[in-house]
Parts: sequence; structure tokens; C-alpha cells
Amino acid sequence: MLLAVLFSNSEGNILVERFHGVPAEERLHWRSFLVKLGADNLKGAKNEELFVASHKSVYIVYTILGDVCIYVVGKDEYDELALAEVIFAITSTVKDVCSKPPTERVFLDKYGKICLCLDEIVWKGMLENTDKDRVKRLIRLKPPTDV
Amino acid sequence: MASGQDSAGTTLMDLITSDPTAAPASNSSTAPVPPSTLGKPATTERKSKRASLMQIQNDTIAAAKALNPVKAIPQRQNRKPVSYAQLARSIHELAATSDQKVSQKQLVHHVFPKLAVYNSVDPSLAPSLLMLHQQCEDRNILRYVYYYLARILSDNDAHGLSPGGGIPTPNWDALADIDAVGGVTRADVVPRIVGQLTSEASNADVEVHARRLAALKALTSASASNSEVVTKLYEIVFDILEKVGDTKQKRKKGIFGKQGGDKESIIRTNLQYAAISALRRLPLDPGNPAFLHRAIQGVSFADPIAVRHALSIISEIATRDPYSVAMALGKLAQPGGALLDVLHLHDVLARISLARLCHTLSRARLLDERPDIKSQFASILYQLLLDPSDRVCFEALLCILGKFDSTERAEERAAGWIRLTREILKLPEAPSVSSKDNNAQSKDGLPPKPKSEKSGLKSKRPQPLFKLAMRRLESSFRSFSRPVLHAAARVVQEMGKSRAAAYALGVVGIDEGSHIYAHSDNAESIDSDLNDGSQSEAARRALSLSNGPNGKDTIAGLLASLMEVVRTTVACECVYVRAMVIKALIWMQNPHESFEELKDIIACELSDPAWPSALLNEILLTLHARFKATPDMAVTLLEIARIFATKSPGKIDADVLQLLWKTCLVGAGPDGKHTALEAVTIVLDLPPPQPGSMSGLTSVDRVSASDPKSAMALQRLVQAAVWFLGENANYAASEYAWESATPPGTALMMLDADKMVAAASSRNPTLAGALTRLQRCAFSGSWEVRIVAAQALITIAVRSGEPYRLQIYEFLHALAQGGVQSQFSELQLSNGEDQGASGTGLGSLISPMLKVLDEMYRAQDDLIRDMRNHDNNKQEWTDEELKQLYETHEKLLDLVSLFCFVPRAKYLPLGPTSAKLINIYRDRHNISASSGLNDPAVATGISDLVYESNMPHKEPDSIDPELAMAWAAGLDDGLLGSNAPAMDRVNEFLAGAGTDAPDVEDENITSRPSVTYNDMWAKELLESYEMEEDDARSSGTSSPESTGSVETSISSHFGGMNYPSLFSSRPSGYGVSQQSESKSASRFGSSSAFEGRGSPVREEPPSYSASVMQRSESFENPLAGYGGQSFNQRDDEGTSENPQFGKALYDFTAGGDDELSLDAGEEVEIDYEVDGWYYVKKKRPGRDGKMAGLVPVLSCLMMNFKNMDEFWAFYVSQHSKASTRRLHFLGTLSSLLCVVASLVSGRWILLLPAPIIGYSLAWYSHFFVEGNVPATFGHPFWSFLCDLKMFALMLSGGMDKEIKRLGKRPVL
Repeated sequence: MLLAVLFSNSEGNILVERFHGVPAEERLHWRSFLVKLGADNLKGAKNEELFVASHKSVYIVYTILGDVCIYVVGKDEYDELALAEVIFAITSTVKDVCSKPPTERVFLDKYGKICLCLDEIVWKGMLENTDKDRVKRLIRLKPPTDV
Repeated sequence: MASGQDSAGTTLMDLITSDPTAAPASNSSTAPVPPSTLGKPATTERKSKRASLMQIQNDTIAAAKALNPVKAIPQRQNRKPVSYAQLARSIHELAATSDQKVSQKQLVHHVFPKLAVYNSVDPSLAPSLLMLHQQCEDRNILRYVYYYLARILSDNDAHGLSPGGGIPTPNWDALADIDAVGGVTRADVVPRIVGQLTSEASNADVEVHARRLAALKALTSASASNSEVVTKLYEIVFDILEKVGDTKQKRKKGIFGKQGGDKESIIRTNLQYAAISALRRLPLDPGNPAFLHRAIQGVSFADPIAVRHALSIISEIATRDPYSVAMALGKLAQPGGALLDVLHLHDVLARISLARLCHTLSRARLLDERPDIKSQFASILYQLLLDPSDRVCFEALLCILGKFDSTERAEERAAGWIRLTREILKLPEAPSVSSKDNNAQSKDGLPPKPKSEKSGLKSKRPQPLFKLAMRRLESSFRSFSRPVLHAAARVVQEMGKSRAAAYALGVVGIDEGSHIYAHSDNAESIDSDLNDGSQSEAARRALSLSNGPNGKDTIAGLLASLMEVVRTTVACECVYVRAMVIKALIWMQNPHESFEELKDIIACELSDPAWPSALLNEILLTLHARFKATPDMAVTLLEIARIFATKSPGKIDADVLQLLWKTCLVGAGPDGKHTALEAVTIVLDLPPPQPGSMSGLTSVDRVSASDPKSAMALQRLVQAAVWFLGENANYAASEYAWESATPPGTALMMLDADKMVAAASSRNPTLAGALTRLQRCAFSGSWEVRIVAAQALITIAVRSGEPYRLQIYEFLHALAQGGVQSQFSELQLSNGEDQGASGTGLGSLISPMLKVLDEMYRAQDDLIRDMRNHDNNKQEWTDEELKQLYETHEKLLDLVSLFCFVPRAKYLPLGPTSAKLINIYRDRHNISASSGLNDPAVATGISDLVYESNMPHKEPDSIDPELAMAWAAGLDDGLLGSNAPAMDRVNEFLAGAGTDAPDVEDENITSRPSVTYNDMWAKELLESYEMEEDDARSSGTSSPESTGSVETSISSHFGGMNYPSLFSSRPSGYGVSQQSESKSASRFGSSSAFEGRGSPVREEPPSYSASVMQRSESFENPLAGYGGQSFNQRDDEGTSENPQFGKALYDFTAGGDDELSLDAGEEVEIDYEVDGWYYVKKKRPGRDGKMAGLVPVLSCLMMNFKNMDEFWAFYVSQHSKASTRRLHFLGTLSSLLCVVASLVSGRWILLLPAPIIGYSLAWYSHFFVEGNVPATFGHPFWSFLCDLKMFALMLSGGMDKEIKRLGKRPVL
């Protein structure tokens, strides 16, 4: 189960969040926990360098892409490595949409599109599409495999 | 978000709409949208109800904001912050003109992206969206339309909370109720949306199949509880699969989705994908053969994602019904079948699901009859070990190890270890093997598949799984990627668990020195072995035959080289990876190996301040789990636990540490008990922390508590250790008064103290050692430690026989008197306390203890005298005398039971000599020895509760003495009450559960208020006591040094005893305590919240009931006792306050389960306030049938204030913002000016604008600045006066002071 996908800017403002199966009262804890993790560790990190954390049986993988920090939280079959796949799908799509590692401004300009991409990548707590070309087609409402 | 969204004072919307040239941080524009949720974002989502009410003002606020000159930062067009309402309006407008290019562009580029910022979409947008859906052709618009329709569908009813996140939006339905958004609720629009999407999803027209897919996807967002939608979805999905699911014409599939053929087949593929994906999101239907059938068809689909979903559906069904899945998979699993193709499918998750599926099927009991099938799946699983993806390889490894989910059993794990070390991977298609294979499993006729040779030549030869796994893990540990390291360490940890399980069960004579590389010469025997699905003797012989001198290929050799790599990983800079590595090392630690290295590693690690406490506690719990798996390691683990206690006392949970001590003590066995106890007492022997000393960071014995916080925590640990020692020393020393190996002669009592100590220590060094340490603590520790030490000493005194009791008696006596203590220790000189009459300040605590001991000794003396008299006179004991004796016996038992648990049946307060007489009396009067009728614990009914829940565990008559000891010490592991919080944590950890959110504040050092039985009961006790006692002494609120709080802490510590009567009601009334006790007992019985006491006379409750109680009690952290004090205080406050009453201002409709609907004007009682909500009680059930629940503070209630002062506090709280007050000031000023003008000019007409100006300004500030309702509505006159008061205060500059003054006092 992919519990959460969260984007924040470098100051810790949350840009996008998608929760699944996280009770409302725990979301705040997750948010602050993740943002704190990022603040502690992501300073000076390379783009797309993967970081890992865990809490009880939940895994967290996070990274930074341009000005944007991306956090993915999962459990069960979504362990660190599966989350690394998820985060790879996300970063490659975001890069594709923003045409390079995004600055915050670019990210926000493409906000709608990124939401749509995320919708295609993570669907009801499960990883769906990983291929960025496929995602690109789908957000234009083209069939996944083009005729 | 506390550090997030609001930290910079900007919201997402501000960020998005801000000018690109302006740095986002400098945009100081606003509070979050909606502004009503200002303040702690923590509560924004929870308060969506309140937000909904405030939403009404949203537009105006946005307008007001735009007007505010401060915020008029340079903004380009289209970059203005947009309110939700503006967006909604534009959607309505643009939807109507969606055929124009301009509006389309506007929608795609501005409106829809910005709308995505909000966490949910208001249902009243649905008609416009549906209109767009029908009429618009533009794909980009349509994609957004599907997105938002899906969001409306997924929006769950409770709090307008969708998984989406984003800026909190109100609960639209609640808003619709008050008709703020046109009265459209989700219930109105959802059927329409579903209808339209369903018809589209069923549309078989090829041209629109992309839209069909999108519609199907959007539909799956509807909540699974909506059975109507689910049924429809099933219909559609099965309908599609009916048409396209058949994969008879075999296509090239897999890696290149794009390649391949005609339009028709592509559309087919797409539909297959969409249908299976939708099916995956639907609830499983394991009993339905059609469901399984479709899923199995899915394995052969061309789309890799479709295959992934199909496999995960199948593997989930397989856990419930392996047989039918295996049957249905049938040929697919055979060589050349679709399942084997999955091995090469370019989709990691698909292969993971495959691994799980194979594991489930190869382990299924139901398939025991079909070893061929099982081995087929096992072989696929083994092949996955060669997978290029680490993730898949690790999953396969975990599956082989028997780690599947958190429910695995030890046998599974042990079998997993054997599998891993013994089994051999043969690729069925490798010619060298398959030619020899005479099994049904391998189809010799099939041509080998050339493309499967992933790992080149090597894979052709049979490979021992273990070697494969080790090689893979080693290379993973060389990776630079943190997730890979973390995962690899986790796998090693799981490996350690399986190995420990194998050792623990002793399933095999594990010979790790054996050579694992079995040559393929033995292929046949190994084949048969594989097909048996279990380890056979033959294989082992075959394996040991080839046992060679080459150490490199032995299991031990491979493991050693792996562990070498693992240890180096400890240098990783990521703490989480390090934590995982340490856990792995703990698990891989063998009981017989030296653990020095591990100890050093941990000690070294703990010196790093970067460790979060949650992580350290997890490691501590790992120690616990390790102990459960291998009790032999108790001492090793205690040593490690000690490092935690000394190195990072501030970060670890004392409860968990104590539990670890306890379980280790029990598990250590008779020989290890002394060592185990020593390990605990080492904590006491620690030198006090030296502030600022940074030397010797790696030294294990040095305490690292350089800051005051950790020093405090260390203090707590010491307390815990002292308490633990008191509770368990007797158990560890096997010394009990009632089980004494050598009943002490009276001669011993004649000795003086020094000789006594010498005699004692020669008899039982463990206990003597513990006593010495406790005595030292009773002198030299902090106040808390000394109290606990005194309690511990009395416990030992009661439980031990002579000479220990006498030794302690002497000591306590000295302690109570003071002045003589110098002969015991020099340390008291340094604690800087007044050593005067009060001695160590423990007098009030110790004197009742001494009195009990006095009583006991006096009664023993009397008994001896009486016996001598009787003997001399050759007199028989009369019944009357016996009765008296028995009563004394019982009375003393009761007294003793107040301090600690003793087995009533065995304990003889009158000394061993009384046994005979007591028994005579009991026999005559048919009193069962185990009668606990007068046991205070039983009488109060508490033990009943615990007793009932534990009843099936044991028989009263067959108490094994050793077990009884364990009980007495509160040690029996299996029976630990589940109310021990630490136990919960351990169990949760052991079960692998726990996904709840992390706590970020690791700074919390105050003991958490664990509301356990004891606390509750203590509270109960104290309450009733205080109510009866008209004495002015209030035990709860006195200073720590006073007796009062000592009582409190003691009484809550001694949970089940009626202590207060001992300490306070009758401070000196020992002679009559029997009477007072029964009185108080009945009092407690009636006032107790636990209605365990049905009838006053209980039928022979078995003796262990008390022990059970004691067990749960003894788990209690001694510190929890101090919680009782604050408890009490809080209670005082609670009772001293009168209930607050309020009246509903408006109708309020409950939006959630815990909320309460109100009608305007209803009277309610306000219980308490939680962030913006009142918990209120009604006099009679309202329209929703509920009596109590939450309602928003604002707008709904007004208080019944008793006087103007109370109202003033409320009034000030309602004018919390400076702008509000300024506007009020302005209003009042202008009104006054009007009045003055009219007075001066004599034109009365000038009076008219006065209230209008005044009130309009004030109300404006309430609605749009403060965001609440003017107090005038409730109390027009008072609020007018308060207005003037505020005016005056502001004029004189005293308002800020007033706010400060009132801020300290709770308004309610």
C-alpha cells in the first residue's frame, strides 16, 4: 500500500499531497515528520539522490528534484525498493513535464499537469503507470498504447 | 504542515498565483485560505465543519484582502490570488461557452490547474463538469473533467477529506445543508455522475475507447462502500473482459508494449489493461470463480501492467484459497506457460506478485497431495532469486525464508532457513539438468527457452540457493543507494530471524560448517528431495558427503563474509540504514559467539546524538524480540540493553527497558538469574553523570548524560531499576519467607547488625547484593529514588525470611530516626539536605512500614510466649485462643498485602512456628487456605476484573511452586496483563504491526500519563477519601516533600491496596485498622468504577486472583505513580468548577460521528473545549438521537455567564486580533463623536448614525477579521459595556496588559 506521496518546496511548504489509507488525524504527523526528515537531510543533496527512513513497519523514500522535495511512504509490498521505483516514476515524469529538474516556479506553473500525472502514476494507493511516455499519453486522454 | 504550509505565512494558492518575479517567501500576503482555519493547521482538516460555516465569508474576505494596501504587491494579470469561489464561478461561465477556443484555453491553463490546489471539489460544480464532459471535445479539458469527477466521487462524506490533500476545503455537504452553495450535495450529483460515466464506460465504440478507459478509471474512485457503483463496475469490467479477455490467439507480449500489430489488437490490449486495473481496485471476491478466471486470463495479457494487476489479484486470492488457484493456474505454471513469461516481464511489481503467489502455493497445506504442483511453484520462486531487480530478488529471498506477512510462525521461519541453506536452484530449462530429470514437473519434450538465460552460463548449473543469496546480498551491500542498503540489511535481519527460529526449534542439527555446494552428480537425489517439498535425509547425507575442507563455501564461511560486509555498512551516514544494520547484527548474533564487537558497535553508535529516540526504542524492542526467539541470550541482551540505559538514557522508554529486564530475568533460568539481576543493578552503580565530559565516548561504562534532560532521564531509569530490584530480587535470589531453604533459628536474631549482614551475604549473595545497593539508594539518590528504594526494601523485607527482614528493619529504623545513618553510609553528607530530626525526609513514608514490621515481630513474640506458656502448662489450645491467633494472622496478612503481594495461602506473618496452629484452626473451621475473602484486593473488586480475563490460564490447586514464585514476583510472562503499555508496544512490534504516524516531538521527557488501572483506582480512592475527609489537608496539591504527595504516589503505586486509610484516615490507628479497613474497603467497593463486586460475600476466590492483580500492577512503572498526583490535582480543578452552560445560537447539523446536531436555542452543558470545538451534553436527545458530542465553538453557543467579569474574559477572547479591536475602537469613537456632536449642536438627528456606525464597524471586524460572531448577539447590554471598557482601556493603553492577564486564565 502506498500510504502517501508528498511534494514540498525547500522551505517545507507542502505543494502536493496524496494520502491513501492514512487516517485524517495522522496526516499532520506524517506531514511534519516528512518535512522534518527533509529539512534534516536534504540540504545539499544531489538531484534524485535517494534517502530512506522507516517508522515501525512503514518505509519512506525521499529525494530532491530541483527545488522540490518528493516523499513517498509505503508499507507491505511497497518497501524501500518498491518505493524507489515509485519515486523514479514520479521524478522522471516531473522532469518530463517541467522539461528539467524544476524550480519551484516551474513546478507551480505546471501544477495541474503534475496532478494529472500523479493521478496516472498512483491510483488508489497502488502504483499504476511507470513509463513516462505512457503517462504523457494518458494525461492527454490518449489510450495507453497508441493506435 | 505546522512547519509546512504556514511557516512562511503563505499558502499553496499564494505560491501558485504569486508573481513569478517576486520570491515566494517575500510574499507575505495572507493567512491560509480559507482564513477561518487560521492558526494551527493541525486542526484544519478536523475543523472542516467550522470551516464550512466560515466559508460563507470567504468571498468577502478575499475581496477585503485585495483591498488591503499592505498586500497590494505588484501583480500581473492572472496572477492574483484566486479564491475557490472565483474558480467555481469561472468554471460555470466557461462551461457554458466551452465551444470557444478562448474559454477552452482559459480552462486548461488557468482554472483547472488552480482548482487542483484544493483538496476537494464542491458538488455544485458537477453539473458544469458533466456538461463539459458531454459537449467538450478538447482532450485536455476532458482529462481534467475526469480528474475532478473522480475527486467528487472519492470525496468521502465525513469531513470533506479526500485522499487528495491540498488546501483544506469545507465539508460541502454541510455547507449545502445551510444552503450556502446552492444546496447541492454529493448525494444529489453522485448518481448523475455515475450514470453518465457508466454509460460512457459501457460504450463499445472503438473511436472513443480512450474516454471509455478514463471513465472506467474515474468510476473506480467511488468509495467501495457504495455498493451500487461497485455492482455496476463489476458488470462493466466483466463485460469488457468477456469480450477481450480471451487470449487464445497468442501474441507477443511483454517488454515492448508498443510493438505488435493491428489496431484491433491494440485496442484490445488497452481495454484489457483498463478492465484488469479496475478489477484490482474492486473488492476481492474470492468465492467467485468468474473473478478468479478473469484474473488468470489476465496473466496472459499483453500489457505488463495488466499482468501485474492480474498476478496481484491472484496472489491475494491464493492466500485464501490456494487449491482452486493452483488448479486454475494449471498449465500456466508449467514450463512455457504464461507464468514463466512473467519472469522476464518488464515490470518489477508483477514479479513481486509472482514471488508471493509462488510462495503461497508452494507452502500451502491444502496442496500437500500435489507435490508436483508445489515444486513447480517453488522452482519458479527460486528462479526469481536470479532476478536483475534487487526488489524482486529480495522478495523471493524473504518468501523463501518464510517471511511473508506479519503472521508467520516460528516453524515456517525455521523451515525457511533450512530451505535457504539446503535447497538448490536448478533451472528446468537448462539442458544438463532437464535431461536427467525424470520428473513429471519437467517436460522433457519442450525445447529449452533460450532467452531465459539471464545469468549466463552459471545459471545452467544447479546453484545452491544460499550461495546465490549471499552473493546477491554482498553485492547489494556494496551499493551506494540507501534504499538498497536498507533493504539488504532488512533481508539479513529476516534471515537472522529465520535462523534463530531454526535454532530455537532445534529442527535440524545445523551444521554450518558443511559444504553447501552440492554437485550436480547428486542431481537425482536432490530432485526427489525437491519434489518431496521438504528436507530429506538423503539430501543431507549427499550434502555432508561433499563436505570439504574449503572453508569458503561453507555456510558459516559465507555468512561470515556477509556479516563482514554488513558491519562495514554501519558506517553509512543514514541513521535509518544504521539502525537496520544494527537490528540485523542483533538478529544474526549467535548465542555462542562473542558479542564484544556488537557491543562496541552499538556503544559507538549510541554516542551519536543524531539518533531519533523512536529508532532507539525500536532497537530496544528488537532486543526484546531477539530474546523471545532465543532465551539463552538473556545475559548478552541485558548487557546490550545496559548500553542503551547508560549511553542514551534520555531517548529510551523506561517501560520497555524494564520489560526487557523482566523477561530476561525470567528467561535467564536458575543459573542466569544472578547475572541478570546484576545487569540491572549495574545501572545503579553508575557514577553520576559528569556534565560536559566528552572523554571516553566509546567506553561502555561511562554515562553519557551531559545535558540536564538526559540526566533526568537517567534518574528515571535509576528509579525504574530500583523498583525493579525491589520487586524481583526475591525471585532472582530464590529467597522467600515462606519457602526458605533453612528456616532461621531465633538465635540469628540475637546477632548484632554487622554479624547479621555477614551471615546474610554468605547465605544468599544475590539478595545481599541487591539489599546493599538498595540501601545505598535509600540514602544517596534523589528524593524520588529514595522513596522507591524504601518501598523496594519493605517489599523485600516482607517477602524474605530472616535475617534479611531484620536487617532491613534495622536499616529502616535508622533511616526513619535519622542521625544514626552515618554508620551505613558516608554518602548522605554530600546530598546537602538537612539531616535533622526528619532524617532523610522519608519518615512519614517509612513509619507505617516499620509499624507493620513492629506488629509482626510483636505478634511473633506473643505467639512464642503463648506457645511456651501452653507447653509449660501442658495445655491444649482452646478454640477461642486459636481464633484469636488466626485473626491476628489474617490481620497481619492484610497489612502486609498493602505493601506488596504475598501468597496468602503460604505466607506466615507469625513465623513458621505458627503454621501448625493456624492449620488446626483452619481444619476445624473448614477455612480454605487459599481464601482471599478478606484480601483487600479482592474486596475492592479490582482483582476480579483481571482475574476473569485470565481465568482460563491456571488451576488454583496445581500451582507449581516455581511458577508461584514467578507470579509472586509478577514475572509470569504469558500472563502479563494486556494493559501494560510497554507490553502492548512489544507485542505490536513483535507482530510487525504499527503504521501509525510517527511522533515528531522526541523531546518529550515527561512521563506520559498512562492511565492504567492503578491510576484510575488510586484516583478513585483519593477522591472518595477527600470527599469524606473534612480535614483541611489536601493530599494532592501539597508540595513534593510533604506527606500528602508521598501518599498519593504510594497509593497509586500500590494500586490495589487501600492505602489511604493507612496513611491518612488513621495515621496511628493500627490496632483498629482491621475495622477501618473493612469500612474503607466497602467504601471503595461502592465508589469504585469497576463494578466487579456483585455480592459482598465472594465464594472462595482462588488465591491467585491477587497475584494476577499484582502482576499487572507490578508492571507499572513506579513513575507512573507520580502521575497520580497530577491526576488528583486535575481532578480537584475539575470538581471545583461549576459546569458551564450554553445555548445554541444557530441550528447545527452534525457532519461526523462524533458531532452533535443542535437546534437554535437549545440549552446544553459544555464539558470541555478541544481546538475550536466544544464537547457538550444535552438534557435530552436531539434530532439525531444523541445526547453528547462535538459542536463548533463559534456561532453555535453562547455562554451563560454569571457576571460581567466572566463575560469580559469571553469578550476579550472574542477580540483577539488587534485589527478587530482597532475597528471597534474606531466604531466606538465615531459613535461617541456623533453623540457629542448631537449634544453640542442640539440636532438629535445626529444621534441616529451613532449606533449604525459603531455596530457596523464592530460587526464588520467580527465577520471578516476575527471570523466569529459578535458577542452582542448573545449579551447586547454586557457587550456594550465591555465595548466601552475596551475603548477606555485602549485609550489608556491598558488593553494589552489586560489581554495578557486574561490570557493566563482559561476563559472557560
